[in-house]
Amino acid sequence: MTTPTAARPATPETLPRAFVGPGLDPARARGNGFADTRRAFLTATRLGWLLEANWTDPVLFFIYSIAKPLASVLILVFMVNVISGGGSTGLRAFVVVGSSLWSFVFSGVAGLGWAILDDRERYRMLRYVFVSPSDFVVVILGRGVARVAVGLAGAIISLAVGIAFLGVDFDPGRIDWPVLAVAMVLGLWAVIAIGVLIAAVCIQTRQESWQYPEAVAGALFLVSGAVFPLSVLPPFAQAVGLISPLSWWMEGVRRALLPHAPSAIGGTTSLFHDLTGAVEPSAATVLLALSATGVLVTLAATLAFRRSERRAKDLGLIDRTTGS
Amino acid sequence: MSSVYVNRPTASPQAAAAWDTRRQLLTNVRGIGGRAYPRVSGILRERSWLFFEILLPFMTTSGFVFVYRALQAPPAYIGFVVLGGAMTAFWLNVMWMMAAQLYWEKDQGNLELYFTAPVSMMSILLGMAVGGMAMSFARAIVVLAIGAIVYGVQFQIEQWALLLAVFALTLAALYGLGMVLASLFLLWGREAWHLTQLTVEPIYFVSGLNFPVGRLGALGALAIGTIPLAVGLDAMRQLAFVNAPGLGGTPSPGIEAGILVVMTVIFIGVARWMLTRLEMLARREGKLTMRWG
Amino acid sequence: MPADTTGAPLAIDARGIRRIYKTKPPVVALDGIDLQVEPGELFGLLGPNGAGKTTLIKILTTLLLPSEGTARIFGFDVVTRTKELRRIMNMVAGGEQSGYGMLTVHEQLWMFSQFYGLGVREGRRRVEELIEAVGLAEQRMQRVSTLSTGERQKMNFARGLLNDPWIFFLDEPTLGLDVSAARSVRDLVRAWQAAVPGRTILLTTHYMAEADELCERLAIVDHGKILAIGTPDELKRRVQRESIFRLELDQLDGGPATLARLPGVTSAVIAANGRQEGDETSQTVAVNLALEGDAALGSVVNALGGIGSRIVSLQKSEPSLEDVFVELVGRGFDEAEANGSPSSGGRDPTDEPPAHAERPPTREPAEVGR
Repeated sequence: MTTPTAARPATPETLPRAFVGPGLDPARARGNGFADTRRAFLTATRLGWLLEANWTDPVLFFIYSIAKPLASVLILVFMVNVISGGGSTGLRAFVVVGSSLWSFVFSGVAGLGWAILDDRERYRMLRYVFVSPSDFVVVILGRGVARVAVGLAGAIISLAVGIAFLGVDFDPGRIDWPVLAVAMVLGLWAVIAIGVLIAAVCIQTRQESWQYPEAVAGALFLVSGAVFPLSVLPPFAQAVGLISPLSWWMEGVRRALLPHAPSAIGGTTSLFHDLTGAVEPSAATVLLALSATGVLVTLAATLAFRRSERRAKDLGLIDRTTGS
Repeated sequence: MSSVYVNRPTASPQAAAAWDTRRQLLTNVRGIGGRAYPRVSGILRERSWLFFEILLPFMTTSGFVFVYRALQAPPAYIGFVVLGGAMTAFWLNVMWMMAAQLYWEKDQGNLELYFTAPVSMMSILLGMAVGGMAMSFARAIVVLAIGAIVYGVQFQIEQWALLLAVFALTLAALYGLGMVLASLFLLWGREAWHLTQLTVEPIYFVSGLNFPVGRLGALGALAIGTIPLAVGLDAMRQLAFVNAPGLGGTPSPGIEAGILVVMTVIFIGVARWMLTRLEMLARREGKLTMRWG
Repeated sequence: MPADTTGAPLAIDARGIRRIYKTKPPVVALDGIDLQVEPGELFGLLGPNGAGKTTLIKILTTLLLPSEGTARIFGFDVVTRTKELRRIMNMVAGGEQSGYGMLTVHEQLWMFSQFYGLGVREGRRRVEELIEAVGLAEQRMQRVSTLSTGERQKMNFARGLLNDPWIFFLDEPTLGLDVSAARSVRDLVRAWQAAVPGRTILLTTHYMAEADELCERLAIVDHGKILAIGTPDELKRRVQRESIFRLELDQLDGGPATLARLPGVTSAVIAANGRQEGDETSQTVAVNLALEGDAALGSVVNALGGIGSRIVSLQKSEPSLEDVFVELVGRGFDEAEANGSPSSGGRDPTDEPPAHAERPPTREPAEVGR
């Protein structure tokens, strides 16, 4: 008859140091408020950066970060050149700025959704993140920040290439810095909010939803005045564009960088003109509209995320893996 | 004792391992069907793809349509964009549902099961592609149909047979290329996923997805010689929009069909060679089962 | 080609297998493995995590190339004859999360039947049979993503049997399963192997009891090397050259010295006094006896009868594979230095004795010992 080897009982002297603690402290359940939130955000950001950047050497990573936005810019510049020839600098500037900024939009919109899918399907850590005391949405935001940063860098570089090589008429002395700063901050906020909305959807969907964030970004591309004025669209589409913070953000940044660039929102045939009588929105109008639409999207995103979280807990979606 | 545990009547493992050509072929054909099955059933069981993979991408294509409208381009250019948008579906199927799929399979632990099965990896890859084709076809049809109806695209087709042949050859060459790329994924692992992402937009650019590739000059010529999407799309545009302005500077559809035939043969041949060689390399590096590699 | 005495090739013939991962620093996962498994054996690889068991299985199942050495399965080289090999083997790993969550159990298995060349109808029939055999009849239309761990492993096991392999590789098949599920899997393994002579199984595990229960022969692996090969009994005899018994007697006149003087008795030590039965406490004497062999027990029993002692209970204590492992792993790289003294059974004298022996530490001269 086999006898199992008897385990030696642990004594305080033999316990690993890591196991010895001060005992149960009820105060721990209260947490440390903002300090915990900040720590969770910074840790998630660092994690997101490590995951985003550790797959290759810096040179290839650099190429990867700019190839996509640059190619998008080139596609549109060629489209303009094919039709309008090389002389249409105004139009070219319009599409270069819009397309460059759009890469930033894409990374923000996709980043959070992909963080959810990454953690759930690939790393299978989502459940552990979820049950940790850190706020789930804070962690997801942190994870998405790395992609947003990469997207922003790509946008800046594309813009620089456009200015240097694609004939964009740009005068740094004429930049409206206050408008630019406010528009960028509000725009970043709006992009992140849309990203949270997409993340809420990704919590519910299966593995093949990797393309969903890209599809949403592509759809928003249509109604955001990124590469053509909204006035070209039918009125109902223009209306959608006017309630999208991305349209106002594009307008604000374009106006700040290129004061004489045509307006994407205004125009004599635009819905904006029909509603307000003004040909173009003023800077103040742009920033105000950006704030208001940003708030709306933030509210929608918050509601959607919380609801999605609850449904995910209901249906056990946090730790499922799918695949076909 | 359950009959399921009783062995089949083979005298020895050597006899059991000796499959004739017919059996090998049948196994590979069955492998295609087997691997296509989860994809097809996934499409039928979760319908969110109808919104995210058809409607929304159609809106992306519409974005480029409106760029041309803003530029007051000739109507033919709208047709170019619509056709390009339709073919994007197949390109994405090849890249994400086939080439990059091996990376996901490794992640999930299925890759090693495929390698230990007596079925060719080419069959598995083809099964993935075939399974995803339902989605791709649906997307292409929606883009073409709505493009024609909503945006008033007028197709002028004189050689239907050649157009269909070019389409079929484009798919064949695309899937051959997909198999070549899939074998690289075996080795590069996670890097390959990022590289696929990296190449999407640049490929769209050099393939002339939204404008005639002939306008790219030497770069366009290079693309026509190397990228199935570029040459196939150009040939289909010439056949679907006969005498449309802007198309020029590229070979005739007949020649481009010939290029596609050559591409198909080369890609499938190279894929076969590479899958074998790179499987050995991946086995040597331990990358077939290394989850994070 | 290497062969057993009947001329048929060995089921597994691995010689000098080394596997080095080119990480920084390089990891030597296998360091010269020689292994021969006969057809029809249920052979075990027992070792801790990181010992190299999974690496060896991956080499044998054609997923990994060895850095050095050769391996053949039924004569087919694992490096060059992968096509043939894959037709006659299959593998199942424990803790597998593979599979397509959206498919049902039936669909998942049918899909794999196609990869193994079964016809559409033939595949369906075989899948139905296997689902019944592994006890998943109620779950056949359930989605894979909703299966419990034990059910998923049964499904994996069924997948492994689809092509009726000549050799079946099981890599920690009961990992993460509860007692009942693990027992089910082990029963399936035994039943499958027993059904037809010639079926070979290579099982890796770090559960000692599982190896002891299932394996006809096993190899103890650590740090990429095989430390010992043999049947479970042979391996246990390495650490225990004596037979250890625990005797409970109603009385023992003259103390344990009476027994220690008997031929074949190596030591006799009092273990404990007294045992409780229900509400009564009866005085008994428990003695741990170390005998040179089981045969010496007869003289002990006779002697006890002669002095009027009655045996209340008699229990033989055997070493477990865990004791073997502790013995070997602790000594694996020190064997050359220690010389394996017969009185210590090859152990380092400063080591604690295996728990099964219940041999007391060195005693005062007044107590009898070796």
